[in-house]
Amino acid sequence: MAKQIQWETVLDKALSRGKAENKAIFLDFFNPQ
Amino acid sequence: MGAVTYPNEAVITFINEKVVPLRIGSAEQPAKDFSINWTPALLILDKNGKEHHRSIGFLEPEELISAIVLGIGKMHYDAGEFKEAITFFEKIVDKSPGSDSAPEAVFLAGVSRYKSTKNALPLKEAYEHLLKEYPLSPWAKRASPYRLL
Repeated sequence: MAKQIQWETVLDKALSRGKAENKAIFLDFFNPQ
Repeated sequence: MGAVTYPNEAVITFINEKVVPLRIGSAEQPAKDFSINWTPALLILDKNGKEHHRSIGFLEPEELISAIVLGIGKMHYDAGEFKEAITFFEKIVDKSPGSDSAPEAVFLAGVSRYKSTKNALPLKEAYEHLLKEYPLSPWAKRASPYRLL
């Protein structure tokens, strides 16, 4: 399986990870169409 | 972004190791909460969800990495963590001096050094650096008063 970015898709979950891992959140708003 | 930048191996490694990556569609509620009117809109948030940096439009791999590093530096800068901020701004200046983020990094590194030492010399040095390397940058104009220090 090719290496990929391990995206979160829910803001609250990403913030929880940010606190647990002491990391900033990189948020990409994209056009799904 | 999905076709060119995100498949890049350096981008994948950097993002997976250094930040929590979050991707949300422009029609979802968080896009309204952050007043997103165009995509891609690339934001750096702290762990409390506060925005510290925003970039609109496509970025190629090196530009994306530099923009994220700049955003993390600005997150520390906004928190008054100037020594930490300087380390991120210097990474851009040292590793990606040709990136679009570099002039702002030079400016903010100078400001951060001043804020952490109360010595005005770093402001003048930042202006001289910008004048030499990025004379057409808006950041060179913004730093121009520091030539008088």
